[in-house]
Amino acid sequence: MTSAESARLAYQGRMAALKAAFADRAESGVGLIRARASAADDLVNVLWHQHAQELGTGIAALAVGGYGRQELFPASDLDLLFVVADADKEKSAKPVIRQINQALWDTGIRVSATTRVLAECDNYDPENAEFTLSLLDARSIAGDTALTAKLLDDCIPKLLERERRNLSQRLLELTQERHARYGNTLFHLEPNIKECPGGLRDANVCGWLAKLTNAQPTSSLEFREAFAFLSSIRCFLHIRSNRDSNALDWKTQDAAAAEGIGVPNGPPRDAAHWMQLYFRHARVIARQLEQQADAMPRARSILKQTRDFLTRRPVTDNLGMRVERGRIVLDAATPDYDPAADSDVMMRAFQSVAETGTRLSSTAEQRLEEALPLLSSQLDEGAALWLKLRLIFLGEHAGLALRSMHALGILELLIPEFHGIDALVIRDAYHRYTVDEHTFVLIDTLHGLPAPEQSPMAEWKKRFAVILHDLQHPDLLYLASLLHDTGKGRSTGEHATESMRLAQSVVSRLEMDEFESGLVLGLIQNHLDMSSALRRDIFDAETIRTFAEKVQTPEELRMITLFTYADIQAVHPDALTPWKAENLWRLYIATSNFLDRNIDDERFDSRVSSELVRRITQLLPGESREVLQFVEGFPQRYLRTRSPEQIRTHYTMSKRLTDDAVQVDFHWTSAHSDITLVTPDRQLLFARIAGVLAAWGMNIITADAFSNAHGIVVDSFRFTDSFRTLEMNPGERDHLIRDLHDAIADPAVAEKMIANRKRSRRRTPLVEVATSVEFDTESSTHSTILQVVAQDLAGLLYAISTTLGEARCSIEVAVIDTEGDTAIDVFYLTQDDAPLELDDLPALKQKLLAAIESNAA
Amino acid sequence: MQKIEAIIQPGKLDAVKEALIEAGIEGITILEARGHGRQKGHTEFYRGREYAVDLLPKIKLETVVSDELAEKAVNAIIGAAQTGSIGDGKIFITRVDDAIRIRNEDRGENAL
Repeated sequence: MTSAESARLAYQGRMAALKAAFADRAESGVGLIRARASAADDLVNVLWHQHAQELGTGIAALAVGGYGRQELFPASDLDLLFVVADADKEKSAKPVIRQINQALWDTGIRVSATTRVLAECDNYDPENAEFTLSLLDARSIAGDTALTAKLLDDCIPKLLERERRNLSQRLLELTQERHARYGNTLFHLEPNIKECPGGLRDANVCGWLAKLTNAQPTSSLEFREAFAFLSSIRCFLHIRSNRDSNALDWKTQDAAAAEGIGVPNGPPRDAAHWMQLYFRHARVIARQLEQQADAMPRARSILKQTRDFLTRRPVTDNLGMRVERGRIVLDAATPDYDPAADSDVMMRAFQSVAETGTRLSSTAEQRLEEALPLLSSQLDEGAALWLKLRLIFLGEHAGLALRSMHALGILELLIPEFHGIDALVIRDAYHRYTVDEHTFVLIDTLHGLPAPEQSPMAEWKKRFAVILHDLQHPDLLYLASLLHDTGKGRSTGEHATESMRLAQSVVSRLEMDEFESGLVLGLIQNHLDMSSALRRDIFDAETIRTFAEKVQTPEELRMITLFTYADIQAVHPDALTPWKAENLWRLYIATSNFLDRNIDDERFDSRVSSELVRRITQLLPGESREVLQFVEGFPQRYLRTRSPEQIRTHYTMSKRLTDDAVQVDFHWTSAHSDITLVTPDRQLLFARIAGVLAAWGMNIITADAFSNAHGIVVDSFRFTDSFRTLEMNPGERDHLIRDLHDAIADPAVAEKMIANRKRSRRRTPLVEVATSVEFDTESSTHSTILQVVAQDLAGLLYAISTTLGEARCSIEVAVIDTEGDTAIDVFYLTQDDAPLELDDLPALKQKLLAAIESNAA
Repeated sequence: MQKIEAIIQPGKLDAVKEALIEAGIEGITILEARGHGRQKGHTEFYRGREYAVDLLPKIKLETVVSDELAEKAVNAIIGAAQTGSIGDGKIFITRVDDAIRIRNEDRGENAL
């Protein structure tokens, strides 16, 4: 037997023993790949020495790529580089190189061999950056040691010195392209263990980036563990399929989980939990790569440099942090104060991420991670924590901020209930993401609704964005979204109920009032109800009625509709088809109409006990009789759309009517304002309020008018401040309230204010809108519905509501909407608590048209 | 072999699927469809705007079965989807000459 033959048999014997040891778990994945590289070294050396005389000097064999790193997976190619001194040597050595390669093939090794003249190794070709990258791992195997030394000690260092920036740029580009091929997510049901984000290739990229920046290779324990876990899986895949297969499909997941691949302490319970380990490890590698890529110096244009300079300033008015190179950085620690260890600064930093979409720099993340033990002891609790969390939820990029908080372990510090769904896998054909990522995608989807988009779903996004805009408590929707699947982390029980149970403890810790916690818990408990209703006949009145009884109020309906829309989309990007969106929308409309058109039929009767009233009277101990008197006769809609705290406020305001007959509750925010008036009912009240708001240039979004059995009205208006008058001049907020007082007391005041407004704000409309006044006498049993479409001009609502008031019409509900220059206003009208007389409608229509025309003149 | 195409109300899908499985038919294809028959569309009134519902959401279900099972499948669909109201849907039956399973090239009823 020749030495080559015995070397070949020795290699094959070693490989068989290694595979058997791996199967018996006596050998780890990392051990196997190192041992295979060593066995290959021995074989190549034997083959080389067999031809040593023919080869002579001026030629050397080097291991490159994975083989160079001594990471040779069972079915991976052997990347060999034959370096020759010159072209003549290349020509003379060619037959021998062929013989060596053939011998390796005959041993069962796939060889990827390259021959290069030394000078060629010095050339960097951006189109073939992979070759230069493979040189970064070059390792001497056999041959001319002087030639090898020239390559390793001279040529490659000089090449790196020269092309460091270009090569790192190209490496990042290649990485981005590869990630894009896998949808830029590591959360795949059947991931590619090598190529996916968070896969082994990313771990290699981390090593290359370290070499390109002369940094120490990544040595954190969790990174090494992640690499070891993925290496074991790849070995398992190669041995199982006997080829270079890297797709971790369902069947292989079952088999790997059953054998406990990569798990030192015995097999886990099932494939889902084993995949949870995979995602956790992949996330470590993905995050490491992100941090290293973030720290890479980039070629920057003058424009970018200028922009960087300009952005080197505090983020909003926050002390302790600023934006630098497009990332939020925390100021350097001083002996007395470290912003990274200040929980206030930390929460404001995440708020800034949520508001601006600017990520935290990797150093900021590292410092927060290091400060975690200290931070955990001084975190806010209760209402103070909720105040900060809701600001993060409401930021347009809340998903980004929450992901970052989750990656750093901060989200779990604040809400430990979230930990159970960390990287949890739902193994079915529909779920694309792990449960935690699904939750973040859901929140992203909700925030993304208003963003314009060119896709088949654009029309639906626009419609559902309107619902989001109408939402009175969006922060509660986001909290419910964050917690809705936490129950999946518990193996027992039905997950919606389990999630609700876990959420109970969260809302109680956040010290939410009963109304807020009721909305959050109700949505979590019922979060699958709308999807279930969609599987029934959504045109059937019984389906609508049953569903409406579950949601009870328009706000809860809006929340569950938006939630269902986003929840379906967050299962898989293609899960929400236009067909499904249409059905969801139809169910929403039908239920919304059911709630609007039926609830006003029922008035509150204090003889019938009610949980809601019990809750209100609990807030006012000793005054239950007076409270019941106050709510007597209000439409049920009033009780169902107002929180117990709001009703308490209205009751308290009604008690002050003897001091001042017009009580005003005003809440201003930069997004919108809510104004509620409690006052004895009087002619033209709604019209006067609308007139004052119009005169101030306010855009009324919604309005409600309710009255109780004693003639006390509660009128609420939500409006936006188009000219930011109240934002720029806080003193004007009191002025507005004074104007409302005066106008309610004296109709002439409102008339005069409107006239002034029209003179000062007259403008030419961009689009001429034809006026349309239509009555619907069939859709509601208790009201006549009036729809007015007209040119949106100051005073329009005042003109309409004045005309309605003069015709003795009572406005039960007003739904006011504006689209560009078009006003679309809908009123539910009654006269003496009944729908309007049909005979009166033509005359009323004429009066309305005349009023609208006169207002426009 | 017979191809059975049924247009049914979306709300009846679960019941029809169960009935077909009970009848021994396992391979079905479901398509999300829109359409109207005699019941036409209607209009929805919401927030002052009218939405025309010209095409109602429907489910199209397809299955190919052996001649012996065809009648059983049709009865299963009717039994599960019928409410007696307008809009219950329709079933179309056509003859199928051959079927091929792509994986192993089985032909005819073996491919079903």
